[in-house]
Amino acid sequence: MRKPDTLSLLVFARSWGIVILFVALFGAFSAWGAPIFGTFANFSLILGGASLATLFAAAIAMGVFSGALDLSVPGIAAISGVVLAKALLVHQSVWVGIILALITGAVFGLVNAFFTLKGLNPLAVTIGTLSVTSGLAAVVTNGPPLFGFKGLEFIGSQQYFATKINGTMVGLPGPFMVVLLVYVVFTIFLTQTRGGARFLAAGGNAEALRRSGVNANLYKMLGFVISGILAAVGGIVTTAFTSQASALPATNQLFTGLTAVALSGISLAGGRGSLPKVFVGSVIISEIASILVIKNIQPFWGTVITGALLIFALYVELVIQKAVSKQVVQHRSAAPAPAPAVASAAMPTTNYLSNTTDGAATEKKDA
Amino acid sequence: MPKNMAKQNESEFALSLEGIDLFYGYVRALNTVNLNVRPGECIALLGDNGAGKSTLLKVISGAHRPTNGVIKVHGREVEFHSPRDSANAGIEMVYQDLALVDAQDTATNLLLGREILRKGPLGWLGFLDRKAMKEEAKREVANLGVKIDTLTRPVEMLSGGQRQGVALARSAVRVSKQAEGILLLDEPTAALGYEQKVMVEQMIKRMAANNIAVVLVTHDLPLAFSAADRMVVLNRSRKVADIETSKTNNDEIVGWITGARPAMENM
Repeated sequence: MRKPDTLSLLVFARSWGIVILFVALFGAFSAWGAPIFGTFANFSLILGGASLATLFAAAIAMGVFSGALDLSVPGIAAISGVVLAKALLVHQSVWVGIILALITGAVFGLVNAFFTLKGLNPLAVTIGTLSVTSGLAAVVTNGPPLFGFKGLEFIGSQQYFATKINGTMVGLPGPFMVVLLVYVVFTIFLTQTRGGARFLAAGGNAEALRRSGVNANLYKMLGFVISGILAAVGGIVTTAFTSQASALPATNQLFTGLTAVALSGISLAGGRGSLPKVFVGSVIISEIASILVIKNIQPFWGTVITGALLIFALYVELVIQKAVSKQVVQHRSAAPAPAPAVASAAMPTTNYLSNTTDGAATEKKDA
Repeated sequence: MPKNMAKQNESEFALSLEGIDLFYGYVRALNTVNLNVRPGECIALLGDNGAGKSTLLKVISGAHRPTNGVIKVHGREVEFHSPRDSANAGIEMVYQDLALVDAQDTATNLLLGREILRKGPLGWLGFLDRKAMKEEAKREVANLGVKIDTLTRPVEMLSGGQRQGVALARSAVRVSKQAEGILLLDEPTAALGYEQKVMVEQMIKRMAANNIAVVLVTHDLPLAFSAADRMVVLNRSRKVADIETSKTNNDEIVGWITGARPAMENM
């Protein structure tokens, strides 16, 4: 019974690798960066620093889960932030501004979905949208960032559940509250609802969904729309947090978001994934940024590490995936008598029988 | 398509094809093919590569429209514009590529499109009743005699035979919800081990025993001989044999497949 054990070990590594990495890094950095790193105050800073990245990571993750890598996230965030700021500057209420920004995100998500479902390459379409949205945002701002608006503190600088620890006030930052809301709502959606199950199925195997009589394109579209809306949420919170709305898309958020998704142990191929793990992935990146600051290392190394982690995480996932398939195949071939032997014993025309796979190839695409 | 076929059961045949012709440009892929399948009967559709058996299956499943000819389901003439039309008429096809959602478990795959929701307000919001789904999947899988290690394991971690079992079970369940459904199987045992082949074979027999009409396309003659009640052989787009399994033998069938044996008369 050794083989199933290796298998479950691999599955365990794939499921829990990111949590182990998080704890290991936290332990190592606490020792290295003592006495600052391991404190509650620093952890709160890490969470605060991770907040924006986690929102973008959620936007990218929802796209990836449904089978599409949405590169337009920073652009949609930029234009949504600009729409919000502009609305506030012309004295609309905060909620009108936020709803307009969310609608902007949804509309560009629909644009991505429309052209992708028409058969265009999603990478090309979303890069196009990235350019269009950031260009439009610059048209609205006419250059410099918009600032001087008020009313967004509740998701910006405000602290929630603040308590005094060692003489300093420590609480949950406003952006983090939005993160909590987003992650809880969408985790429930993905894991507990019929819509979530079909959403993941659309990313994993749209054909399976189609053959089950479900409109798979609807769920593919939903992927882009949710991605667009979450990008808008990222743009809104960025605007609130920095008190200004820049037309420049924060493309580094794309990289950290993608790395967080890769760290969560999925192959970017769609159909699987867990938001809480994406969250942990984002916090790991924030952890690394924090230790760089504490150890007074050039922050540019953070960018280097993020990119390297992205490739490393995808590679590890590939290796584990292959090892798992190998284990499953070994498990299967343990069955007693292999088919060819039986067939040739019963049939004089083995030649003819060995042709089976040819027929298979011609049947692949259907309906 | 009317769904309550059972009441309009005017014919002894679940499925009848009359004079089906199909041209691909100038190529005649099917030449006046006739085929009748009774409820509870399993027929094996045999032939060499390019003989037309897959094309015929596509005509029945609605993927292709015949150039000439009539398709009848339980005596009613039907016209399929898409696979959905054929599915609505009670015809289910198990494709060679199984179309499973790899990362999800057996229960989710099996119940895709007919998920069980919770009762009460959570159900209105689309919340799944995972426990009920697991139990339903367990019941359906047990009914079909499929052996699956754990229903909660992602199907990518199942063996080939078990994956085939899940795909078959998914279609089988849907087809049995229809009164006297029709099940089309395209090479269900390609790339399977011996034990798993036996399992699929038993599933096919069980389906037929449940009064489902089964059309089995295969290259696997031992499977055809053990599972099918009747053998239908196509050769170069024509039907050359249509005979009860008990009245023929391996050599005759191989002769028809290769064309060494002249076509049967009075089919």
